[in-house]
Amino acid sequence: MRGPEYERRRQKSVVFVGLLLFALILFLIQLWLFVMVLENILAGKTGMVFQAAAASFVLLGVNFWMFAGVSRISKMR
Amino acid sequence: MNEKIKQDFPIEWEDDHFVTRREFFKFMTLASGGLAVGTAALAAYAKLPKDERVFEAAMICKVDDVKIGSALAFSYPRPNDLCLLVRKQDGNFAGYARRCTHLSCPVEYEVRNERELLYCPCHNGAFSVEDGSVVQGPPPHPLPQIKLEIRGNEVWALGIIKEKHS
Repeated sequence: MRGPEYERRRQKSVVFVGLLLFALILFLIQLWLFVMVLENILAGKTGMVFQAAAASFVLLGVNFWMFAGVSRISKMR
Repeated sequence: MNEKIKQDFPIEWEDDHFVTRREFFKFMTLASGGLAVGTAALAAYAKLPKDERVFEAAMICKVDDVKIGSALAFSYPRPNDLCLLVRKQDGNFAGYARRCTHLSCPVEYEVRNERELLYCPCHNGAFSVEDGSVVQGPPPHPLPQIKLEIRGNEVWALGIIKEKHS
């Protein structure tokens, strides 16, 4: 008989995988921003570079926030 | 040697080093931080003033070596940096990098319909002799200009002036 502890762990695992996938998507968006800024600079267009850098820092903030949450959950075990 | 390999690549599954979810998240956050800092560094680099680059002055030729309405090819500041010295119809000199900003074909000085142009034969691009700006064709940017100075009877190159792209 599987108890509530098992169910709780299973649910936590799903949440972790979801968070990991979300972090991966954010990372890919940051990579795209980086490449886009590089290409635009090489093409001589610098009108949007600071906005792209700001967006990248916002995504970093979200990633860091999730990392802090995961660390907290891991320590609760 | 064998012991070291066994330690680094253990056969038993239990002895292997597991990457925890927390470690993986830490790695992702660090990589994310690296990308954010890299993007910010690129943005800062793009906004650096790059109007004028001063190089060691170099004599190009004597004033009389270039007739009015003709051009002379030279290299500046390095031997591979092809440039073109133009003596315009009004007798003044102008210097430009010779590589077209489209696909780096060498541009030629030409007078078409009484208009002086730096013409790129590869894709019919053309630049103004006055300021190097794009007059026609696919080039995305103006030609970098060579800063010139007349010293006595000699023409000297002092640096490169690049247009700021907005």
